[in-house]
Amino acid sequence: MSERPAIYRTAGLTKSYGTAPTAVHALRGVDLTVHAGELLVLLGPSGSGKSTLLNILGGLDSATSGQAWFEDSEITALDADGLTEYRRRSIGFVFQFYNLIAALTARENVQLITDIAEDPMTPEEALALVGLEGRMDHFPAQLSGGEQQRVAIARAIAKRPQVLLCDEPTGALDSETGIRVLTALETVNREVGTTVMIITHNAVIADMADEVVHFADGAIASHTSNPRRKPPGELAW
Amino acid sequence: MNALPPLTRKLLRDLWRLRGQALAIALVMAAGVGMAVMSYGMMRSLDAARSAYYEGYSLAQVWVPLRRAPDSLARELAEVPGVAGVETRLSGAATLDLPGIAEPVLARLHSLPIQLNRVVLRSGRMPRAERPNEVIVSEAFAKAARLAPGDRLPALVYGKRIELVLVGTAISPEHVYAVAPGQIFPDNRRFGIIWMAREPLAAALDMRDGFNEVLLRLAPGASKQEVIRRADRISAAYGPVGAYGRDLDVSNRFLSSEIDQLRTMVQILPPIFLLVSAFLLNILLARLIDTEREVIGLLKAFGYRSAPIARHYAQLALLLSLGGVALGWVLGFWLGRGVALLYQAYFAFPALTFSAGADIYLGSAAMALAAVLAGAISAVWRAQRLTPAEAMRPPAPARYSSGPLSSRLVRLLPDEPSRMILRGFFRRPLRTIASVLGLAMALALYVASASSTDNVERLIQLVFERGQRADLALSFTEPRDGRVQRELALLPGVQRAETYRAVGAELVKGPHREREAVLGLPRGSALMRIVALDGTTIEPPPGGALISSQLARKLDIVAGDQIEVQVTEGQRQRFTLPITAVVDVPLGASLVIERGALNRLLREGDVASGAYLMTDPQQAPALFARLKQTPQVASVTVAANAVRGIRETIAESMGIVTLFNTLFAMLIVVGVTYTSARISLSELARDLASMRVLGYRKGEAGFVLVGEQALLALAALPLGLVLGMALSRYIASSFSSDMFMIPAAVSARTLAEGVLVVAVAAAATAVLVRRSADRLDLVRALKTRE
Repeated sequence: MSERPAIYRTAGLTKSYGTAPTAVHALRGVDLTVHAGELLVLLGPSGSGKSTLLNILGGLDSATSGQAWFEDSEITALDADGLTEYRRRSIGFVFQFYNLIAALTARENVQLITDIAEDPMTPEEALALVGLEGRMDHFPAQLSGGEQQRVAIARAIAKRPQVLLCDEPTGALDSETGIRVLTALETVNREVGTTVMIITHNAVIADMADEVVHFADGAIASHTSNPRRKPPGELAW
Repeated sequence: MNALPPLTRKLLRDLWRLRGQALAIALVMAAGVGMAVMSYGMMRSLDAARSAYYEGYSLAQVWVPLRRAPDSLARELAEVPGVAGVETRLSGAATLDLPGIAEPVLARLHSLPIQLNRVVLRSGRMPRAERPNEVIVSEAFAKAARLAPGDRLPALVYGKRIELVLVGTAISPEHVYAVAPGQIFPDNRRFGIIWMAREPLAAALDMRDGFNEVLLRLAPGASKQEVIRRADRISAAYGPVGAYGRDLDVSNRFLSSEIDQLRTMVQILPPIFLLVSAFLLNILLARLIDTEREVIGLLKAFGYRSAPIARHYAQLALLLSLGGVALGWVLGFWLGRGVALLYQAYFAFPALTFSAGADIYLGSAAMALAAVLAGAISAVWRAQRLTPAEAMRPPAPARYSSGPLSSRLVRLLPDEPSRMILRGFFRRPLRTIASVLGLAMALALYVASASSTDNVERLIQLVFERGQRADLALSFTEPRDGRVQRELALLPGVQRAETYRAVGAELVKGPHREREAVLGLPRGSALMRIVALDGTTIEPPPGGALISSQLARKLDIVAGDQIEVQVTEGQRQRFTLPITAVVDVPLGASLVIERGALNRLLREGDVASGAYLMTDPQQAPALFARLKQTPQVASVTVAANAVRGIRETIAESMGIVTLFNTLFAMLIVVGVTYTSARISLSELARDLASMRVLGYRKGEAGFVLVGEQALLALAALPLGLVLGMALSRYIASSFSSDMFMIPAAVSARTLAEGVLVVAVAAAATAVLVRRSADRLDLVRALKTRE
């Protein structure tokens, strides 16, 4: 895998909240390289720092010290407007609670992104990729949790982002639905070539990844590569 | 703080957390309470000041004006049942030649009162009997004309030249509102009241053994109508029959009309503010309870009963409204004192202090509390009905419908943020409608208030530009030969002169009788035309009479009816005339016939009572100098001064009122927009954060919030303009009295200003709330479950 170019690099990335004696250190000097096209799973208990890392890489949060690069540009040097533009161009997000806009139908939730992207798919294409071509005109309240999460994935991929960042995408779903969602993510990674980073509590999911990073106490505890990716259909929990 | 029960602590913290919205609602409520306190308090203060003044200085209850009567008449009048006091006096008109004032100044002369209509000396001293030329004048006149004790006032009294010496100033219950005959706004520089000793006034009026007016006080319970009827019968031989009560006294009529105007305002304004604040409170509480479902569930699970929870939210509403009421009381008291000062500029009271009783303060608080309860009850009811299990569950995801109409409308929109806004409106139609109504009422309030200036400008245009186009109006001391027109035309600067005939009469139709002047105007007049409220000019008809709609209503007469005219001067002819048209005239001219016809009916040949002149302003000083020397001229009214007087009075009083109403309108707009935008922000926080995470820029995401408020304001504009024009028309008609009619004329400028005021206030508020949206914590908004 290492022949692929690096899409993310971090050097000594730290994040702390509060001041000296009572400061909480969410990240304690993280050095990580993610290559383009990889499917990477971040594992670790609550508070281990994985979400903080994802938020900084996604341009939602700022680091206290250290640096992070997206390709050749330093994310940690961008101001708020720069981060917005970065998110707008390059990043797709999938969250535990879907974060769909209740006032918009599935198709319109995807259009929310295709309206502002440079070279997007059509909303119909994106929804077909996650198997929701038949539910396009339903409002979120009319969809199941798994369907809502797949709309969120369609919304995230529709702009053809270079990176898809997923924070506990199956956290609110039962296993069967969760596997359907993971299948959608795997398809995007495989067919579109999008780099996918998934945060999870669920160690089983690590089997579908190229790279697995274990977090503990704000630092990387281990970084391993899977010789073979298991298709999500073979996962069970 | 720790001693407080936890729910009370939560209450105080909630109030602090919601302070922005609480303040907005409290301010709107305070405006309503303040207006109520001010208006009711002012009505009561004016009424009390008037009663005390009238009683304390023995204002007559009936006036009996006469031409000339002997002392025996006073004795006869004293024997009329119901009459408790009689005082005879001399009354007349004078023109003064004051240095520094080019025009002749008009003055009303009274002999010094003894028992009735006593004056309050404000400066200097009373005239001494042994010094016949000493006078006191009305205080406002002395101030405006810059007169001081010791000044000499050259006066022309019915053709006689006398020199008066000013020794003091006074005010009188008879002239609380002092306007020259035929005017509706005071011009204190050119009209004043003069009191002087009886002897010298009798000499000037040539009335050494007699009097020309009787003042009557009535015994408690006496019938005023009966006394007037008998007084008229007894005095019939001594001049025009015309006893009248306080209700027809001009000064008292203006005071009553002012009190009526306050009553109109108090019926319109406070309810608007209280309605808006009730609505704002309702949406605030409903949203608060929505976001606190889990808290409510938890409390109930812990064993709290429903009642304390309902009380908790009701207390929040009450606490917030107590702030509004307290602020409103302070505002009302402050406004009341300000308005009392304003009134003193044209109502001359010995003292006018604003004082609203405890009942007014408590009543206004009760009104506010009723509004609060109305606003809070449905939300509080919902809170106490939640079952613990239901409350612990998050609310079902917002359900958006795709009804056929709404979905078709939504699809017309170009982008997703616009669709979010529109779907939001359809999801909560009541809140949307209420917001639009609130903003529309604010605009209506502005338009109705600011248009009062438009209405007066229209009145000026109708009366002085289209109707009376003369620069000067003269009245003669006695009817004169019509050939006077040629003499007038020869005076310096006079470009055109027209004469008119006016005669006092009693107009009779069936059981109805009204005392009014009959005006004879030449046909084809260029200087004095009858103009209706709608702007059409009407010629005096050749074989009949025009009647003003106010007078027609009092006489119950319609076009085509016959009216009986009983002239109360000269030969006292009686004749009947057909009414050819009933006309809405803004002011003056009650019964108008063609001048020649009137002369013929009076069997008098070509006779005039006065004239209208068009003059060259360059030669005004020379003309005024000549008129001041002309004994036959009883009064000179300068149109430009009358217009200036109206504009100054309006600018002074309406300017301040309009300023306040503009502030109040903006307050409503800010209150509605702020509350509605804050609540939208709280509902949309997750959506907006999601949009920001997805790469929407601050402005693009904030558009959902600002656009929503903009659309609400936009929807409110046409409604507000229509409501405003209707309200303006209602206020104009309720301000119209039988002395004048106010045309309703909202100018395009006022409408545009109203739109601007609402737009600016709404935009500024929405942008303020958008800044909170810009500071949303993206990560936290995403971690929370809706």
